[in-house]
Amino acid sequence: MGIVETAHNVKVLGSGNPQTVVLAHGFGTDQSVWKHLVPHLVEHYRVVLYDNMGAGTTNPEYFDFDRYSSLEGYAYDLLSILEELQIESCIFVGHSVSAMIGAVASITRPDLFSKIVMLGASPRYLNASDYFGGFEQEDLEQLFEAMRENYKAWCSGFAPMVVGGDMESVAVQEFSRTLFNMRPDIALCVLQTIFNSDMRSILGMVTVPCHILQSMKDLAVPVVVSEHLHQHLGGISIVEVMSSDGHLPQLSSPDIVIPVLLRHIRYDIEA
Amino acid sequence: MRAGLSTIQQTLTPEAAGVLNLSIAEAARRNHGQTTPLHVAATLLSAPSGFLRQACIKSHPNSSHPLQCRALELCFSVALERLPTAQDAVLEPPMSNALMAALKRAQAHQRRGCPEQQQQPLLAVKVELEQLIISILDDPSVSRVMREASFSSPAVKATIEQSLNSATQPPPRPSSTPLGVAIRPSIPPTGNLYLNPRLQQQQGSAVSGGTAASGPRTVHQRRDDVKKVVEILLRPRKSNPVLVGESEPGAVVRDLVKKMEGKELNDGALKNVHVISLEKEFGSDKSSMLTRLKDLVETQIGTRGIILNFGDLKWLVEQPWVSGQALPKQQVVSEVTRVVVAEVAKLLRLFGSEAGNGSSGRLWLIGTATCETYLRCQVYHPSMEADWDLQAVPVAAQSPLPGLFPRLGTTGVLGSSVESVFTLKNFPAAISSSSSSRLAEHLDPAQKIKCCPLCTQGYEQELRKLKATDWEKSSPEVKSNAAVRVRSSLPQWLQNAKVNPDQGEEVVLNQNIQELQKKWNETCLGSHPQFHRQHIVGSERINPTPFCMTGLYKPNLLLKQSLDPKSPLLKPTPTTQSQPTLQIPSPPRSPVQTDLVLGQTKTVTKPALEKPAQKEDSRDFLGCTAQGQPKRIYEFQCEKLMSISDTDSFKKLLKKLKESVWWQQDAASSLATIMNQSKLGNSIRNADSRGDLWILFGGPDRAGKKKMGYALSELVCRSPPIIISFGSGRNTDLSFRGKTALDRIAEGVRRNPFSVIILEDVDEADMLVRGGIRRAMERGRMADSHGREISLGNVTFILTANWVPDTVKLVTKSDSSFAEEKLAGLAQEGWQLKLSASKQTSKRRPSWLHSINTAVKLRKEMDSSNSLGFDLNEAADYLDNRPDGSHNSSDLTVEHEYDHGLDNRLPAASLVYHELLCHVHDSIIFKPVDIESLQETITSSISTKFSSVFGDRITIDIQEEALERILGGVWLGRTGWEEWTESVLIPSFDQLKEQLLTKQDESMVVRLECSRSPDPCGYGEWLPRQVELAIDEL
Repeated sequence: MGIVETAHNVKVLGSGNPQTVVLAHGFGTDQSVWKHLVPHLVEHYRVVLYDNMGAGTTNPEYFDFDRYSSLEGYAYDLLSILEELQIESCIFVGHSVSAMIGAVASITRPDLFSKIVMLGASPRYLNASDYFGGFEQEDLEQLFEAMRENYKAWCSGFAPMVVGGDMESVAVQEFSRTLFNMRPDIALCVLQTIFNSDMRSILGMVTVPCHILQSMKDLAVPVVVSEHLHQHLGGISIVEVMSSDGHLPQLSSPDIVIPVLLRHIRYDIEA
Repeated sequence: MRAGLSTIQQTLTPEAAGVLNLSIAEAARRNHGQTTPLHVAATLLSAPSGFLRQACIKSHPNSSHPLQCRALELCFSVALERLPTAQDAVLEPPMSNALMAALKRAQAHQRRGCPEQQQQPLLAVKVELEQLIISILDDPSVSRVMREASFSSPAVKATIEQSLNSATQPPPRPSSTPLGVAIRPSIPPTGNLYLNPRLQQQQGSAVSGGTAASGPRTVHQRRDDVKKVVEILLRPRKSNPVLVGESEPGAVVRDLVKKMEGKELNDGALKNVHVISLEKEFGSDKSSMLTRLKDLVETQIGTRGIILNFGDLKWLVEQPWVSGQALPKQQVVSEVTRVVVAEVAKLLRLFGSEAGNGSSGRLWLIGTATCETYLRCQVYHPSMEADWDLQAVPVAAQSPLPGLFPRLGTTGVLGSSVESVFTLKNFPAAISSSSSSRLAEHLDPAQKIKCCPLCTQGYEQELRKLKATDWEKSSPEVKSNAAVRVRSSLPQWLQNAKVNPDQGEEVVLNQNIQELQKKWNETCLGSHPQFHRQHIVGSERINPTPFCMTGLYKPNLLLKQSLDPKSPLLKPTPTTQSQPTLQIPSPPRSPVQTDLVLGQTKTVTKPALEKPAQKEDSRDFLGCTAQGQPKRIYEFQCEKLMSISDTDSFKKLLKKLKESVWWQQDAASSLATIMNQSKLGNSIRNADSRGDLWILFGGPDRAGKKKMGYALSELVCRSPPIIISFGSGRNTDLSFRGKTALDRIAEGVRRNPFSVIILEDVDEADMLVRGGIRRAMERGRMADSHGREISLGNVTFILTANWVPDTVKLVTKSDSSFAEEKLAGLAQEGWQLKLSASKQTSKRRPSWLHSINTAVKLRKEMDSSNSLGFDLNEAADYLDNRPDGSHNSSDLTVEHEYDHGLDNRLPAASLVYHELLCHVHDSIIFKPVDIESLQETITSSISTKFSSVFGDRITIDIQEEALERILGGVWLGRTGWEEWTESVLIPSFDQLKEQLLTKQDESMVVRLECSRSPDPCGYGEWLPRQVELAIDEL
C-alpha cells in the first residue's frame, strides 16, 4: 500500500465490481460516518473510503496548515488518492465540505468524476448581500473563540447542535467521538477553512453532473443553499430535499437517507 | 527560412521538435508573422499533463490552485492576442530572433550537460524537451507573462533543473546527487502529481529530511523500489533490472530476494522462481564462474526459472585479484570479464525473455551498481546493456550525501551497516535542515500576507518597525553551529538580523511577524472583501523559497554536519544530545508555543533521550539496532507535540486556579499538573485511555477545596460543577428524594459527560456509596441504583475529605473547620461595607499595618488555634474606644469551645482516606488555612489599592469586623478577591476621591467599616456589591 493510501486510511471494498464509488466524509467525522451506507453498496460497486487529512484518524504530522488553508489542498489529496488507486472514473459521494472538495477536484480533472453526489453541501456558509449561507461573521467568531477556549466543552456543545439531537443519541455520541478525536488546533484550522471558504465563483466551472441532497432541517446548510447550487453549477444538477434532520443525516436518520443516496448513486439525471 | 527550420529541427529531439512544430502551427493559426517563445510556451502549457504545467504546479508546492494553471494559460493567450498579425497569411511563420536565441541557449546547455566520457560531436547533441523549456523560460517575454499570472519563471526553472538532475538515467554526472523529486513524466514517478508535500517528504525524496517517520519512510521507499523491480522483471523486454544507487540497492535486492523466497510474489511468471546469488556461489573467485555458470543454470532452470543475483557489478570493471600482474589493469579487466559478459549474454539468449521457449523456465539477471560502476560498465562493456537486456533502476539514495562512504557503500555485504550509519549520522542534520527550511517558509513575509496593496503597505511599515526594534535587541554574535545553519537558510532580509545561539529571539520575531501578518490579513479581509473575492480566482501565491534554495544549501550544510567530529550522536554529552530536540521543527501555526516547548523539552525529555542513547550507541555503530534511534526520536517527538498543544492550556489553567484560590498555591499547581497529565493520557492509571479522572482533595480547607473545584469546573467545562455532598446535615434538597448519591452521580454524568463532579466529604459517605465509588474508580463505569451502567465519559471527579495527613497536622494544628464556620456565620449574616472619611482626631493611631503585625505576634505567642476566636460584640465595643496597639486583647478573654469532633473521627476517617487514596488517580493535600496571613494579604492589598488611588498621604483604616467579613466572603464565596476589588472596592475609592476632591489633606482618615444589612446575600455572593460612602463634616 502506498504512502497516500496509508496516510488517508484508504479502504477499498467490493473490489470485483466495475464501477467505483468514492465516499468522502465531512468535518469532524471520518470514514465511519458512512457505516450505514457501505453495506448497501459493496454488492454492486467498488467502494473507496478514505479519511480527509486532519481527521482524528490521520497522522497530525501530515497536516500542513498551509496546504489545508484552502479546500484545494483537500482536492489535491482526493486526486492523489484517485491517481494512486488508478481510478479512471468514479461516482463521488461527498458529505458537507467534501462535496465542495469533490467539486473543486472535478474542475481540475473532470475525467475522473462521472458524477458527484453532494450531501449537505454549501459553497459558502457566511451570509452575503445576495446570498444566504446561514451564518453571520459574529457567529463564526464566537464559534472559533469557544473552540480556542475549550475544545472539549466546545465539542460537547457543537455535536448535538450539528447532528440535531440530544447528547444521549447514538449519532451525537458518534459524532462527538470523531470530533473530539481531532487535534484541537487542527480542528480549528479545518473549521476556519471551511467557514471562510467561498466556492460560489467556481461553481460555474463544475461540469460534472451533480446530485444535491439536503436535509430539510440542517443547521449548517439552509435549504435555499441547495437551490443556489442547483442554479449556479456549470453542469446539470438535481436537488432532493430529504425529510431528515441535522447535518449528518446519514448517521442520524439512515432510514430516510440511505435509500435516497442509493437512488442517486444508481441512477443518473435524465438528459 | 524553410531550410533553416529543418536544420534547427535536427538539433532537437523528436519530442522537442514536435513542440516546435506545434508552436509554428499555432502561430500560423493565429495569423502571426513570426513564431515567438510565447507560442512555444503556450504550446507547452496546453498539454494537460505537460511537463511545463507540472513544473509550474510543483514550483508552488504549498499551494497551487487548480485554476492557477488556467490563469497562466489565459495570460498567455492574452499575450498572444496582442502580437501583431501578419498582412498575408504565412504557412509557416519564421522563428523570431528571440526564439532562435532560446534554441541556441538550449543547445549550449545540452552540450554542457554531457559527461566527459560521452562527449559527442556537436551535431549529435539533441536538445531535449527539458532544455528547450528551460531556455524558453529564460526568455524575458515569457517570464513577464508568467509573472502576470503570478508564477515565477526562475522557480519553475529551478524545479525543472532539479528534476533533470534526479531523473536522467544514467545520470549525466556521476558525482551529482539526485536532488529533488522526479517529475519528469517519462520516469515512473515516485509520487503522483497531487501528492501532499508532507507525504512526499515522508516518501523519501532525497531533499526531505525525514522529520519523524524516518523508519517507516525507508520501508516504504524500499517497498516501492521492490515493486518497481518486480514490474521490470515481468516485462517482456529489458527485463533484467540493475539497481543503480549509492547505498540502498543492496537492501532492495535483499528485500526482493526475501520476498521471492517467502513466496510472497504470486504474479504469474515469478511465482516459482529460484534465486541464485553469484556472490554466495562463487565468492570472490569469478574465474571459476566461466565454467560453472552454464552448468549451474542449465541444471537448475527446469521449468521454474532462475534469477541470477549478480550482486554488485563492480567486479566486472575492476578486479583486485589481478592487480599483481604486469599488464595494465584495465586491459585485464576487459579480457576476463568480457568473456563473462559474453557468456552470460549467451545464456540469456538461450533462456532469457526473448528465447521464447515456453516449456522451460526463464532466466533473469539482477544486480546492483553505483552510478560510477554502471557508467564504467557501459564504457568497458558497451554491448552489455543490450546483450544482457538490462534496465537500470535508479534507487533514490536515502541519505542526502551518499558519496560520503563510497568505499563502504559499494560492498554489498557491508551495505546494511552503512545504511544504518547513514540513518544515524544524518538524522540530526536532516532534522535541522528541514526545520530551518520550514522556518524560512514561515518567516517569509510574502508568503502569508495576502492583502490588497493598501494593507500590504501598512503591514510592511509595521514590519519594518518591528524589525528595527529587533535589531536593537539582538546580540551581534553568531555563536553556534546551529545558528549558522539557521542563518544560512533564512530569507535574505532576515540574514541581516542577528542570530542568537538559542534561536529564541528569532522565534519571538517570527511570532511577532506572524501575528502582524495575521492582523493585517484579517483587517484586510474585513475592510476590503472585494479584493479577496477576486483573489480566490486568480489567487497569487508565490513561494519565494524555491526548491533549489534548500537544494543548494543542503550539501554544504550536511557536509559540515557529517564531517563535524562532534556530531550530536557520536558524543552523547548533554548539550549535544539536546540539539536534535531543539531542532525538531515545531508544527506550523503554533510558533507561539515554540519557546515554551524549547524550555520544556530541555528539562523534561533530555534525560529520557540521553540514557538509552548512551546505552545503545555502541551497538548503534555496529549497525545492529539501526532503527532504534529514529524510532525513539519519533516517539519522543509525539510526546513533544502533545506538550506543545498543552503547554499554554496548562499555563492558563494554572493561572486561573491560582487566581481563584490564591491561598492554596501549591494545591493549585499540583491540580493543574494533574489535569495536564491526564489530558496527555500519561497519568498513572489512564494508560487504558479512560477519560474519567479521580482526584482526592484532602486537608482541612473545605472552602478552598470547594472553590478549587468550582474554578476547575469553570475552566474545564464552563459550567458550575455538580456538587454531591455526603457530609452530615447538608443533604436537604428535595429533588434528592428517592435518589441515592450514586444515582445523582450517574445523573450528573449523563447530563454532561465532560463535567466536573465534586463529591464533598466523601469520607463521611456510608459504606455502600463508598463501595460504589470505589468500583467506579476501578472500572470507569458506574451502576446506579436501578442497575443501569453508564460509562463515566470524561468526567473529572473531585473527592473531598477532611482528613489531614499526620505530617501536615504536626506542622500546624488546624482549626480551620472551626474558623470556617465562624466566618461563614459572619459573612452570611447580611452586611454592608461603608467607607467613611473623617478628620483625624488629634491623637494619631498607629497605622493599621503596624497594629496587625503586633497583633499577629501576640497571637503567635499565645496559641495559634485561638487566633480567630474573637467575639463580635466585644470587637464592636472596643472599636469605639480602642486602646492603642492592644485592640486584639479580646482574644485573650474569649473562651473557646474547641471542636474536637474532627479529631475524634480521625481513626475511621484515616482508614477511609487511605482506602480512597489507593484508587484515585491523584490526591492533593490542601494546607490548613493560615487566617492571619490571609488577613494580612487582604489588608495590604486593600491599602495598596487605596494608596494607588489616594496617594500616600491618606491612610486607610480597616475595621477588624469588616476585615473578617471580607475574608469570610472571599474564602467561602465564589467571587474572586481580585475580581471583587476591581469591580467594587476600587470604584468606591474613586468615587470617594471625587467627593473629597477639595477637602483632601493629611489629617484625613478613611475607614472601611461594616454594618448590618437586612437582606442576606445569596449563596456564592458573599461579598457586598457596593460600598456605601459617608463623609463626615470636616
